Amino acid sequence: MKRIFAFSLRNLKELLRDPLSYIFCLGFPLVMLCIMTIVNSSIPEEAHMTLFNIENLSCGIAVFGLSFVMLFTCLNVSKDRSGAFLVRLYASTMRSSDFIAGYMLPCLVLSVLQMLVTFIASMITASIVGSSAVRVGGSLLAMLTLIPGAVFFIAAGLLFGSLFNEKAAPGLCSIIISLAALLGGVWFDCESAGGILFDICRVLPFYHCVKAARMAMALEFNGLSVHLLISSGYAIVFAVLAAVVFRSKMRADLA
Amino acid sequence: MNSLDLSVEEGELFSLLGVNGAGKTTTIRMLTCLSSPTAGEAFICGHSTSKESSEVKKIVGISPQDTAVAGNLTVRENLELMAGIYGFDKAGTARRIADMTKLFRLDEVLDSRAKTLSGGWKRKLSIAMALISEPKVLFLDEPTLGLDVLARRELWSAVNSLKGKITIILTTHYMEEAEQLSDRIAIMVGGRICASGTLEELERQSGETGLENAFVKIAEQAGGAES
Repeated sequence: MKRIFAFSLRNLKELLRDPLSYIFCLGFPLVMLCIMTIVNSSIPEEAHMTLFNIENLSCGIAVFGLSFVMLFTCLNVSKDRSGAFLVRLYASTMRSSDFIAGYMLPCLVLSVLQMLVTFIASMITASIVGSSAVRVGGSLLAMLTLIPGAVFFIAAGLLFGSLFNEKAAPGLCSIIISLAALLGGVWFDCESAGGILFDICRVLPFYHCVKAARMAMALEFNGLSVHLLISSGYAIVFAVLAAVVFRSKMRADLA
Repeated sequence: MNSLDLSVEEGELFSLLGVNGAGKTTTIRMLTCLSSPTAGEAFICGHSTSKESSEVKKIVGISPQDTAVAGNLTVRENLELMAGIYGFDKAGTARRIADMTKLFRLDEVLDSRAKTLSGGWKRKLSIAMALISEPKVLFLDEPTLGLDVLARRELWSAVNSLKGKITIILTTHYMEEAEQLSDRIAIMVGGRICASGTLEELERQSGETGLENAFVKIAEQAGGAES
């Protein structure tokens, strides 16, 4: 445990001392929250467009923010792999499980902090626009339902960081971030779109993460478990895959 | 690597001297369990590097060729990280940081981030990180590569102060460094050890005076000078 704690603390400090973490993980999602709230206020009620209502927007933005945690996990791992720092740690008493836990735990802390900030900002925004749809209980439940999504994004970051170098990995993560926003129904109503597009959304985890959070926020529990199960399944599969790939890469480095 | 056969005494400072690509770093990687040999076996304090790697890892420290420090952490935090990994408690960590600070005169940079340090300070920190776990054997892979003459001399003085207290295996291609620091020197060419012994023994073996002349003669005889 001491090894995991020491390595987690180092990774947490690395993340918190990178100004880009604040810009992308907190600043950018919060700016989007403000912009889309302004956009929403310009949409006439007759349009029956509820996607950008603060209770829906906050959940979408929270998932959008989590996708940036993937980018930072990926960057952290790929940067470490490209330098000599990991060589020193490979020669130490650290085991592959210590590395995996040490990379994932601080990112989970960062994810929870990010969700907290997003939902607090959403509650403030809701009080400004006169909405009562963002409640403390609903926000806390939404945060809980987003934990599998956070694990999924962190595991994906660890996986891509293990597979690709620090030049290729961010590019790939940017594609996933765009896909997550698009196919998760953050910026458009994929349910209304229907057809093949909605089928694709339902196959991928992003829509289920956003949907589970929105249902929890609205305290609608009927059907919530399906979305939660799918996002949890993706989280487990990606966590196992990331652990296996990281371990095999470490073994290859030590061969 | 081919037919590598060497033994190092406890407390000795043993240098592996060779041109680029001679196999010095590969030797260190195998001895620190970072690479596996295709054949043969190595023992560190009686522990096999292939069968008892976890035991070996507890008693060795390595300062890799490239600066292996966490750039966004301060010098103190880098040392705390390594102490934490090796299971030191709070008091033990504080004691070892104090020891390393004294040995490498790190006081003035203790709270500076590693990425802001000069090459010399980074190298000192790298060695301090390798030493903080109180290893029995310390591997220094080209510790003064790319350092200016003053930083190099300062590092030599720190390494010299460790002589006799800990076994050190050092790789270098600087003749002066090997001459100044080593108890014994092995000359590596093309993945093999062509000669080993004290400076006097190498001079006698080659019939030349001075390490540089002895090295060139031995390397040429081994047919590896051009590599």
